[in-house]
Amino acid sequence: MEKFSYVNATSLKQVTSLLSDSGWGEIMMIAGGTDLLAELKEYIETPKTLINLKTLPGMDSISADASGLKIGALTTVAEIAMHPTIQHHYTVLAQAAASVATPQIRNVGTLGGNLCQRPRCWYYRDETVSCLKKGGDLCYAVEGLSKYHAIFGGDPVYIVHPSDIAPALIALNASIKIVGPEGEKTIKVEEFFTLPAANPFRENVLEPNEIVVEVHVPKPNPNTKSLYLKAREKGAPDFALASVAGVFEVMGRTCQAASIVLGGVAPAPWRSTDAETALTGKMINDSVSAKAGEEAVKNAQPLNDNEYKVTLTQNLISRAAMMAVSK
Amino acid sequence: MSEKKEYKVIGTRPIRHDGVDKVTGRAIYGADFQITGLLHGRVLRSPHAHARIVSIDTSRAEAHPGVKGVVTAEDLPAAEDKMADLGEGAVSLKYLCDNILASDKALYKGHAIAAVAATSPHIAEEACELIDVEYEVLPPVLEVRQAMESDAPILHENLRTSSLGETGDKPSNIASHFQHKKGDIDKGFDEADVIIEREFVTGTVHQGYIEPHNATALYNPDGQLTVWCSTQGAFTVREQLAEILQYPISKIKVVPLEIGGGFGGKINVYVKPVAALLAKKTGKPVKVLMNRADVFEGTGPTPASYITIKMGATNDGKITAAQTSLVFEAGAYPGSPVGAGAMCVFAPYNIENVVIDGYDVVVNKPKTAPYRAPGATNAAFGTETVVDELAEKLNIDPLEIRLMNGAKEGDRRADGPVYPRIGFIETLEAAKEHPHYASPNGKKYHGRGIASGFWFNIGLESSVTINVNPDGTVNLVEGSTDIGGTRASIAMQAAEVLGIPAESVNPTVVDTNSIGYTAVTGGSRTTYATGYAAYEAAQDVVQQMKARAAKLWDVDEDNVQFADGEFSSINGKEEQISFRDLSARLGETGGPVIGRATMNPAGAGGAFATHVVDVEVDVDTGKVEILRYTATQDAGKAIHPSYVEGQIQGGVVQGIGWALNEEYIYNDEGEMTNASFLDYRMPTCLDLPMIDAVIVEVPNPGHPYGVRGVGEVPIVPPPAAIANAIYDAVGIRMTELPMSPDRLLKAMGKI
Ligand SMILES: Cc1cc2nc3c(=O)[nH]c(=O)nc-3n(C[C@H](O)[C@H](O)[C@H](O)COP(=O)(O)OP(=O)(O)OC[C@H]3O[C@@H](n4cnc5c(N)ncnc54)[C@H](O)[C@@H]3O)c2cc1C
Ligand code: SF4
Repeated sequence: MEKFSYVNATSLKQVTSLLSDSGWGEIMMIAGGTDLLAELKEYIETPKTLINLKTLPGMDSISADASGLKIGALTTVAEIAMHPTIQHHYTVLAQAAASVATPQIRNVGTLGGNLCQRPRCWYYRDETVSCLKKGGDLCYAVEGLSKYHAIFGGDPVYIVHPSDIAPALIALNASIKIVGPEGEKTIKVEEFFTLPAANPFRENVLEPNEIVVEVHVPKPNPNTKSLYLKAREKGAPDFALASVAGVFEVMGRTCQAASIVLGGVAPAPWRSTDAETALTGKMINDSVSAKAGEEAVKNAQPLNDNEYKVTLTQNLISRAAMMAVSK
Repeated sequence: MSEKKEYKVIGTRPIRHDGVDKVTGRAIYGADFQITGLLHGRVLRSPHAHARIVSIDTSRAEAHPGVKGVVTAEDLPAAEDKMADLGEGAVSLKYLCDNILASDKALYKGHAIAAVAATSPHIAEEACELIDVEYEVLPPVLEVRQAMESDAPILHENLRTSSLGETGDKPSNIASHFQHKKGDIDKGFDEADVIIEREFVTGTVHQGYIEPHNATALYNPDGQLTVWCSTQGAFTVREQLAEILQYPISKIKVVPLEIGGGFGGKINVYVKPVAALLAKKTGKPVKVLMNRADVFEGTGPTPASYITIKMGATNDGKITAAQTSLVFEAGAYPGSPVGAGAMCVFAPYNIENVVIDGYDVVVNKPKTAPYRAPGATNAAFGTETVVDELAEKLNIDPLEIRLMNGAKEGDRRADGPVYPRIGFIETLEAAKEHPHYASPNGKKYHGRGIASGFWFNIGLESSVTINVNPDGTVNLVEGSTDIGGTRASIAMQAAEVLGIPAESVNPTVVDTNSIGYTAVTGGSRTTYATGYAAYEAAQDVVQQMKARAAKLWDVDEDNVQFADGEFSSINGKEEQISFRDLSARLGETGGPVIGRATMNPAGAGGAFATHVVDVEVDVDTGKVEILRYTATQDAGKAIHPSYVEGQIQGGVVQGIGWALNEEYIYNDEGEMTNASFLDYRMPTCLDLPMIDAVIVEVPNPGHPYGVRGVGEVPIVPPPAAIANAIYDAVGIRMTELPMSPDRLLKAMGKI
């Protein structure tokens, strides 16, 4: 870890103005530090200054009303996972948050940090490797070891986005409030994340001097059933090999609307419109759900070692659809 | 032997003597150790798996503010061609030294190249970046079958295969090949009605102890070297330091601190000699701590292996022949546990015709180290899967085929030894009678698997002294690192002899200057051998105390007897005094009493285990869930049943990790890509059911209470038991470890 100076944030204005003094990497924000500290120790990031966001007032709470949820960026993952309203009405979000890491990390890691966390690709996390994402020439996963890499949307960088919370938020049609030196803006979480074709170096649209402040989640319709399925090699801590955030509006066994967003399979949370189309308006049974799985992966492009993810994703989608219409 | 005896202390479950210190955070581990003037050391490691070291320039690092000293292999005494004796036969001193700091070649990624001592750990780390090493990168070889090919990259130009007494004439990565033979293998297979032959591949796995390696070293101006460290054996550290540093044993004191797990991985030294070299160079105490990546990449994991097993049986289930080739990776230097694997591979069965071939092969990975029953788990994965397949082909229950062929007292193992009284059959019977085995197992994608395992256990040297306190308690001094509750299990054996409660014995593990030679805590020997020494030392106390009572009563020593904590006189005088009261009168009867014993017992008595596991296979995701697990094991005599159960459960858990998730994942350049506990997946409680540990007690004739080592054999059966259960669930034979979701999906034809 390199030496750095440490500044406690007092206001958003102060933060954005401090950040405006440099591009990426010189001055960085730290929230829970569960991701960033590891990057500092491994020399993946070597900032000169860290701004501690935890001292910002009023950004660590959840409020719920008839229109939906507001969750401050400094809210911990644990608070989201254990919030009764979220558990009842935004189940996919509570389940996704509960599947993150370990109790200790959930108690410290924040929503903002979870959405802005960096990739887990083992080449990215190796300080001696300068891959495409870090400004080098090659994505090593293409020829190298790709067991945990993307099967969708990869070109030219095949990371998978590590967040479990992001797919859940997108499936719930959430928005994200961002503050920069010019003021605030609110965009869809879905538009927040970007694919490497647009920018191979970052995973989202945030500028170096912008900060995530809050997430808004509209209240789902009453006939909504939502759930998060995550396949991993061991119980915890483990990132998703593949995951499905599913939000279904159901009437009996009929799916009136479906929002299906995949985690662990693409450089950004991956909406499967193919699966959504295959389910919408249908009576859900074994063959319809199986078909939805098949449709979802028909354009998958696995690398050398991750073909199993295609099977996994397909089966998880079918399972999610069946669970949506079961009691 | 002692079967029917009633014990007062043995078999009870007192609170362990070291428990309070540990749960209150007071126990001192290596990283906690502090001393005035302490410097911090950091090791620079090779980024390449195979490279010639052209030059090392440390001048920039030495000039860095805060740096007090830099060492490389040049600071080690010249090792060329010398042999070192570490009590287990001669090993090349060059190999031993080169693994501490590479001299001419880096042989694995993570190989130590140089080390820095500085005023802070951060400065030491920075300074490592300032050491300029020029490498000539060579192609690595990472897998035994490739390493054995004639055109494979060669690790050691001087290494010649020693094969069945002959030495090869050209450089090779095959360090050695040996063979055990029994009976007539061709005849055995001729007699068989069914023959199964399979290949197995297992991955490189790490012991995964929580506490990383550490050492603090100090040279006094008079040349006395003291090393405080975490180790499984202070005396083996002393021996290794003496050889590696070519320094007199009498000038080395090793102080063992608390240990946070070892499982075999803390017998070999890594940073201890480095700390000593830095301490010598700087004249200051130097502490070196590893981080987790250092531990994965720079210490010894247990080997990956390639195994073929061929077994034949008659239609009525008798196994007539068994043949195997065990090819183990040694890592960068010769010395895998293939020898131990060969002793265990067919050990549970009485088979007339056997051939076992073992190969020790060097590859560009860290030099392997022992891990709980080293070699036996790899071997049993093969054997126990094939036995299961034989049972299936012959339509015999898998427990029955084991009962029919199971080894008993008087049977001879293929590598020579004839079994004394052993308890394999009893573990099978215990499994058969357990409600688990009778419970229904018919659900779709659920399966049940059985496997057995053997570990020979060892004796070796132990020393114990017992000082009697005036209040009737005793201080027990020993040299065995306590990893799994042995302070308690050793103290209890002394307490039983002395007729006092376990709590009245205060056990302490001391440094190498304060107790007689004691071999490592390994080979499941500590409760057996050091416990045996404690038993004998306590007997010595009793003898001496009898003399004191005789003096007190003015009777002949032979007329004093001792039972249930009371001395009494027989023949004439009606005298009686308790151990406690007599303890208060030692001064007046001749001074303090110190009991002592040293041992090198030969009758360790092998341990057997039989495991039953139920799994559910998620056919959509390839994930295996362990639903129920029952492990029966012959403990001989469980001194402290809770810690025997703890050993069984711990071994099973590590076996489950080995079976399902754990492996070093290497890229083509020979770099481990998953050197963290996030990416190297060890199981947690979320992955495990309650593990039912069933203790079977067939007393070991080689120990006064019948103790057998218990720590290692429980890791042996799990991979095979789980593979057999997966077969029962989905009809697929898994022959490669780990059986991770991607492999299972592939094997089920879902990809
Ligand atoms: C062992 C382990 C297992 C894990 N498993 C999972 C898992 O299964 N699923 C999962 O989803 N995650 C997992 N994680 C990631 C974990 O959830 C994140 O590390 C955590 O949520 C990040 O929050 P933080 O507050 O600690 O972020 P920090 O580490 O403080 O910051 C992370 C990044 O986000 C930036 N940042 C933080 N807050 C803001 C903000 N408000 N605006 C803009 N940028 C910001 C920081 O600059 C930094 O680059 C795991 C992490 C670990 C260490
Ligand atoms: S997936 Fe991304 S982070 Fe990983 S090697 Fe390729 S470019 Fe680098």
